[in-house]
Amino acid sequence: MKKLAGLPALAVLSALSVAALGCSSKEKASQQEEGPRWTIGMSQCNLGEPWRVQMNADIRKAAEAHPELRVVFKDAQNDNLRQRSHVEEYVRTGVDLIIISPKEAAPLTQPVADAYGRGIPVIVLDRRVLGDRYTCFIGADNKRIGRAAGRWIAERLGGSGRVVELKGLMTSTPGQDRHSGFVGGIRGSQVEVIFEADMKWLEPNARQEMESALARFEDIDLVYAHNDPGAHGAYLAAKAAGREQEIIFVGIDGLPQEGQIYVKQGLLEASFEYPTGGKEAVETALEILSGQEVPREITLSSRVFTTANVEQGGEWLEQ
Amino acid sequence: MSQIGPGSPARSPERLLLMEDIVKSFSGVRVLDSVRFELLAGEVHVLAGENGAGKSTLIKILSGAYSDYQGTIRLGERTVNFRSPQEALANGISVIYQEISLVGPMSVADNIFLGRETVRAAGWLAPKVQQQEARRLLEELGLEVDVTRPVEEYPVSVQQMVEIVKALSYDSQIIVMDEPTSSLTEPEVERLFAIIGVLKQRGCGIIYISHKMEEIYRIADRITVLRDGRYVGTRAAAELPQAELIRWMVGREISQQFPRRDFSGGPVILKVEHLTVPGGKGAAHPLVDDVSFEVRAGEILGLAGLQGSGNSDLLNGLFGTFGATVRGSVSLEGRPFEVRSPAHSIDRSLALLTNDRKANGMVPQMSISHNLTLASLEKFSALGWIESAKEIQAGRNRMESLRIKAASLFQEVGTLSGGNQQKVILGKWLETGPRVLFLDEPTRGVDVAVKHEIYELMNQWTAAGCAILLITSEMPELLAMADRILVMYRGRVSAELDRRQATQEKILQAAMGETSVRQT
Amino acid sequence: MNGQISPGPENSKLARLFRSPTVRALLSLLVVVLLGLVFNAEGAFFKWGTHRDMLRQVSVFGILACGMTLVIITSGIDLSVGSVLGLTAVLFSLFSIHLGWWPWLTVVACFAAGAACGAASGALIARFNIQPFIATLAMMVFARGLAKFVSGGQKISTAVMQPDGTYQYVEVPRIFDLLNARILGENLTVVTLIMLVCVAGCYLVLAKLRWGRYFYAVGGNEEAARLSGVPVAAVKVLAYGLSGFFCALAGICQAAQELQGDPEAGMAYELTAIAIVVIGGTSLRGGRGTIWLTLLGTMTIGYLEKILSINAVGEASRLMLTGMIIIVAVLFQKRES
Repeated sequence: MKKLAGLPALAVLSALSVAALGCSSKEKASQQEEGPRWTIGMSQCNLGEPWRVQMNADIRKAAEAHPELRVVFKDAQNDNLRQRSHVEEYVRTGVDLIIISPKEAAPLTQPVADAYGRGIPVIVLDRRVLGDRYTCFIGADNKRIGRAAGRWIAERLGGSGRVVELKGLMTSTPGQDRHSGFVGGIRGSQVEVIFEADMKWLEPNARQEMESALARFEDIDLVYAHNDPGAHGAYLAAKAAGREQEIIFVGIDGLPQEGQIYVKQGLLEASFEYPTGGKEAVETALEILSGQEVPREITLSSRVFTTANVEQGGEWLEQ
Repeated sequence: MSQIGPGSPARSPERLLLMEDIVKSFSGVRVLDSVRFELLAGEVHVLAGENGAGKSTLIKILSGAYSDYQGTIRLGERTVNFRSPQEALANGISVIYQEISLVGPMSVADNIFLGRETVRAAGWLAPKVQQQEARRLLEELGLEVDVTRPVEEYPVSVQQMVEIVKALSYDSQIIVMDEPTSSLTEPEVERLFAIIGVLKQRGCGIIYISHKMEEIYRIADRITVLRDGRYVGTRAAAELPQAELIRWMVGREISQQFPRRDFSGGPVILKVEHLTVPGGKGAAHPLVDDVSFEVRAGEILGLAGLQGSGNSDLLNGLFGTFGATVRGSVSLEGRPFEVRSPAHSIDRSLALLTNDRKANGMVPQMSISHNLTLASLEKFSALGWIESAKEIQAGRNRMESLRIKAASLFQEVGTLSGGNQQKVILGKWLETGPRVLFLDEPTRGVDVAVKHEIYELMNQWTAAGCAILLITSEMPELLAMADRILVMYRGRVSAELDRRQATQEKILQAAMGETSVRQT
Repeated sequence: MNGQISPGPENSKLARLFRSPTVRALLSLLVVVLLGLVFNAEGAFFKWGTHRDMLRQVSVFGILACGMTLVIITSGIDLSVGSVLGLTAVLFSLFSIHLGWWPWLTVVACFAAGAACGAASGALIARFNIQPFIATLAMMVFARGLAKFVSGGQKISTAVMQPDGTYQYVEVPRIFDLLNARILGENLTVVTLIMLVCVAGCYLVLAKLRWGRYFYAVGGNEEAARLSGVPVAAVKVLAYGLSGFFCALAGICQAAQELQGDPEAGMAYELTAIAIVVIGGTSLRGGRGTIWLTLLGTMTIGYLEKILSINAVGEASRLMLTGMIIIVAVLFQKRES
């Protein structure tokens, strides 16, 4: 009796897995019908972040315009070793090109170099690997964006003001760069950072930290958060305290469904785009596959979305 | 068994241990007061007293489990104060507790040498050497055991021997046995006593705690009695008659150990036909094999049998402990009864007092009150909402009628003495208003006075029309309380004895498989 | 202990008081509050708003800890609370913002989803004898996956994707504002009120209902409970089901406070919930504990986070301090045997 009781569960499970696997194979099949010439393997380090979901979406969208391309996606779920094995799988299955957005430089340098050594072109996206054994690096410059934000803020505050900085994870490179860039940007002005805290890129944490800042300081002019959810969390905290009108909120990332919407709604006054490079990666891949020379490093330019320009699609930052 | 003269041990009057003026308090409550205890080489010294008299506390002080006490302990000529059980062990004091404290999945040999494994120079284990040594030690006690098998695969009796061997491997001079026979069958007890004889000859001193009179008088050289944490006295066993011992223990006369029983017959209340309880996977025979019997209202039916005879499985099977796996037909108060689950059985006015109150009798963290109403909570909670006043009133009544000794109704049951715990569990079942009571070892680990109270309660309940199925490993108890006795052997009934015909010898014969004694 | 033995002189009232778990839990809280009085961040700690915000911040954890307490009393553990919170936060936002369902229907649907997740864990544990740690670990992974599947990996916010790939902004439903509001003259957030109602509800369940009593019995001695006619399997399913229900409630509160459903929401919240219960003094061995202890544990964790936050203590020091305070609090709770 007890043995048999497991059977229905097993049946349900197998039905579910068949359904799930069936879905994905159908997807593949439809792509194959168009007869793509090249297969690109895309290794994403973590799909837990909306920004990276957007990167994949950008790649997918750009690739759809080119029927000769087929893109296979893998998500390493924030695990270096898993991402390493993804790269190795791509090499073994013989893809024509690899796009990788690595989780960390050191653990992924070797597998990327191996693939490159076997003659598979590798485009490294967003985060770097060590050395020069790859084809092309595409990424935006967090420091530059931070500096632009700093300059914009100094100007917006008329040269002086009290700012709360909600930092991403300070043990991560983007967090460090967005901070140091910002500090460089406000240098020379009277802008003063009165409170800074790690919010680990998370909205609930940003809200909590902002509440503390509000409790300590009666007079806050502006909040600079290292990402848009952080700025949004800070806005919600200020709103709960009835002080959202007196404070300016500035974030980074500028995703269409996040930062841009917040700016449109008037919650944030500015959001600085951190481009995913998805579209550029696909374009570069096409150039490589068709035998053209590409630069070793492509730095993406980014836009700023403000209340004034968001409807017009933002404004390009000067290089 | 070596016969040793009364009063003083025959050989080597060397004194191993002297504890004097021992005082111990728990958060202000004095549980031991000026206790004295002496142990000579080669003697069995019984430490007697009711539950809660302080025996366990004294042993825990001796074995280093409690290090904050007043008074002096002298080992030979040395004054000692053990800070930990390890220290006591290193000084030759071993305790064999009621509950086996072996690591079940580890092998016999590994258990014996746990914590001081034989190692080679490089720190590698030397299992072969260890196994040899373990085998040698066991053989000295006349035991042949595969020392590489997990210890949990052996019956409790063998596990106990392993514990004793473990003690011997430390070269312990003083061996404490806390109710060692409580889960042993008759032949196993004999074997234990033989081993105790060997130990005496080696010059070990044995401190022996037991509630069984018969046993005490069989092996004791001297007896020390504690009562309510105080020292009552020490005397040679032969100079301390049983009645006197009981008076020392309870502080009052108990005229007669068992109350009188009268049973004149009543209507059949439980009828069991061809009951079979299947054994586990790979079992040689069913736990209970085609058993039929009936019980009348007001009757106490004794179920005798050695360990593994299936008598306990019979009660559990009927009660639904094993679920609906039981075959056969049962009728209860004239209506057919289908074995399903404990809950169903309780609904049909059955109650089962199990033989292991710690494992499955009580919820130690819950209060007396909550334990008392656990099996009948629906009575106190129409629509699911517990009526506290009603519950507390019922608890107070029960506490009074069963004479449960506790600070309050809300004391945790785990902190009570064994006898009081047993009373709480009995109270829990009485609260369900049972018509048939299954009592599996109701007096195990219970002191003399409470035993007597339980006997009287059994008489009260049967007088009120209850039927009782009784299992007890104490032969005198069975003979005195049961109106009829079924003896079981390997899952089958090997004899049915009337109260007047039954003798200890006949029961034992049938329990050991001699079917010739079957009588009706 | 025997009734005839009279208490000795050293059995002072103070010593007995100190043995009560409630007093010990209060002591932990007191220590943390004292820290706050010393490190008050230029007086920020003395403002009422700080305490109100602390309560708001910790409410979601408190709600999760309510369910966790029930489960731990039955001698189990529920690792899936964070994931189920994430799942229900996504469902709540999806139903109410994107699909525009009637708000109370959304709430009921989320409760059902949460309770179903919990009951499924409970059924695995009770019926198939899977260890609670394993069963709820599986549920933790599964529910997180489901949340990502349902949301497509994106936060479900007021930005709704149109067929042409652009985003359109919609207003948040009124229920979000309702849950995110403050009442009693701006002095109490609605989510805190919900947490307090949960605590009171758990108190009634544990102290007054037959089923609550069964939680303790099953946690204290499962076999004794079964032999006493307690429906053990149903009790377990109920405990985990209630935990799932509280997760759903917490998920709704989380979504209402963020104005979106984040499939990543509640990551590692199960650890905080367990820490709260343990700091309160409820034993992981089961059979013991009360919901008031959990409330005290919630406040302790809440104040700790708040004090670290208003003093802008860096991430590394925060983690170390939190770890140390948990150990100190648990040491306070340790009974001498």
